[in-house]
Amino acid sequence: MRLELENVSMVYQSGTPFSARALEDVSLTVEPGERLAVAGPVGSGKSTLLAILAGVETPTSGRVIHGTREISRRQTPPPGSIGLAFQSPENCLFEKTVYSDVSFAPRRQGLDGQEVRRRVENSLAAVGTDPASIGQRSPFSLSIGEQRRVALAGVLAMEPRALLLDEPTAYLDPAARRELIMQLVELNEQTGVTMVMVGHDMDELARFAGRLVIIDGGRKVAEGRAESILTDSALLAGHSLDPPGTVELCSLLSAATGDQVAPALSEEQAIETLMQIMEGKC
Amino acid sequence: MQISNMVVGQFYPGTSILHRVDPRTKIIAACAFVIVLFMVNGFEGLAVMGAGLAAVIALAGIPLSWLWRGLKPVLFLLVITFAFQLFLSGGEELWRLGPVTVYRAGLVQGAFLTARLLLLVLSGSILTFSTPPVLLTDALGRLMEPLAKLKIPAYELALMMTIALRFIPTLVMEVDRIIKAQKARGAVTSGGGLLVRARGIMPVLVPLFVMSFRHADELALAMESRCWRGGRGRTIRRKLAFSNKDAVFATVVLAVLAASLWMGRFR
Ligand SMILES: Nc1ncnc2c1ncn2[C@@H]1O[C@H](COP(=O)(O)OP(=O)(O)O)[C@@H](O)[C@H]1O
Ligand SMILES: [Mg+2]
Repeated sequence: MRLELENVSMVYQSGTPFSARALEDVSLTVEPGERLAVAGPVGSGKSTLLAILAGVETPTSGRVIHGTREISRRQTPPPGSIGLAFQSPENCLFEKTVYSDVSFAPRRQGLDGQEVRRRVENSLAAVGTDPASIGQRSPFSLSIGEQRRVALAGVLAMEPRALLLDEPTAYLDPAARRELIMQLVELNEQTGVTMVMVGHDMDELARFAGRLVIIDGGRKVAEGRAESILTDSALLAGHSLDPPGTVELCSLLSAATGDQVAPALSEEQAIETLMQIMEGKC
Repeated sequence: MQISNMVVGQFYPGTSILHRVDPRTKIIAACAFVIVLFMVNGFEGLAVMGAGLAAVIALAGIPLSWLWRGLKPVLFLLVITFAFQLFLSGGEELWRLGPVTVYRAGLVQGAFLTARLLLLVLSGSILTFSTPPVLLTDALGRLMEPLAKLKIPAYELALMMTIALRFIPTLVMEVDRIIKAQKARGAVTSGGGLLVRARGIMPVLVPLFVMSFRHADELALAMESRCWRGGRGRTIRRKLAFSNKDAVFATVVLAVLAASLWMGRFR
């Protein structure tokens, strides 16, 4: 499903001495089936953008469009069409067992028992957990990493047409981060679900995103293919962001060798570049 | 109501004399005001008190829209008070509308009680409008200090209030997020029958409790690791001090209260 923001501005608590401007005139189109990343420093308005895109927050001005349908306070998105996971989604776990928590949304959607079961098992498997072994456990007995996965499975179980994720890897250990990103990419490639992910770890976004948007101070400051934005170290540094490690490595190599080393976006690419340099030296 | 539109605390920032008067003076003044409010009979006394309050509101530079926000939650109570008095008394009939009869005494009594309640709420509001919550609890703690001699943990009570206040905005934001996330999963948090709504609360209530306990745990740990061990011997960074502003304010309040007592009781 295509998601669009048109000239969206957001002021929290407007009309009070505490009014806070979070977004300023942001326009954005998320194409069906793409993987879009939204990056920016802390407090730049990323979470606000995601909440507005999901239709759970109403902007102060501007339009939000899901497919052909304009979203407003009265016209909320049809239930189950948008999967939304805020930062630390494990905070939303509440049922007695993992199975009943993950099945909450499909049950609310009024699906029959067999379909509910299929969805729970599929979505738990999609985030790399074993439905048989954790299904009957209390979600609060799991580790944070497992809780995170279960919470995401609870969102996936709606089989939404777009999945919006706010820093899904925050507070996870490096191995778990890597794995989660891989699973998300795989899910997108298998099901074609539109994905928007908010984050600020560029290594992670390099592995995830096809396209990338940078916001800073509530404004959209850059948008483009992931490879062109992530290799633009000056742009990233201007918005308190670090380029991916591989890009940094290549610029260090450029400085050391005096040659122009093309920036690499993946580890495979970086290794290849290194091999070439070493071959030249030997 | 959308929670994110809710004003967290009622403090309205400003630099008026009312904002700069020591919070202890304001608390005592508000208490005195309330006591006099219940001593005064008749509208003349209330009118003097109302005028005094209006002057203070104007002095503090608090806009009417802000005042209105503070009154909205108690509006229902005011209307109920008025309605009850209106219909439930006997005496001289004023007018009749079907089964409903309005009596003169009821009308007068209703108006009086409603006005008194309104002034009561407003006087409390002025205090919270013009004083940051943390200063308010500091001042309450200081005022309760003599109670410590009676083995009442005054300092700890004040600290508890401060901490509670500190966490209100955090919890409000978190609850807002939880409600939205659970709604996106199809939870029903408004509308529907009572049973539906009661069940709809669980997806919000359980996470809220889990989160509150976690906050409490983390805070306790953080306080202990920084050697917090109760109020004894604690020094205070934000010192409260009376100044001549307090004397002026107290005098004016005393004058208004004396005038209303004279108008409303002893004349
Ligand atoms: N519910 C809220 N009420 C008031 N201000 C808010 C609220 N949520 C966010 N803000 C403010 O809006 C700005 C953007 O916040 P957010 O979207 O959370 O940024 P990010 O996710 O990029 O860190 C911040 O200045 C923040 O303080
Ligand atoms: Mg955020």
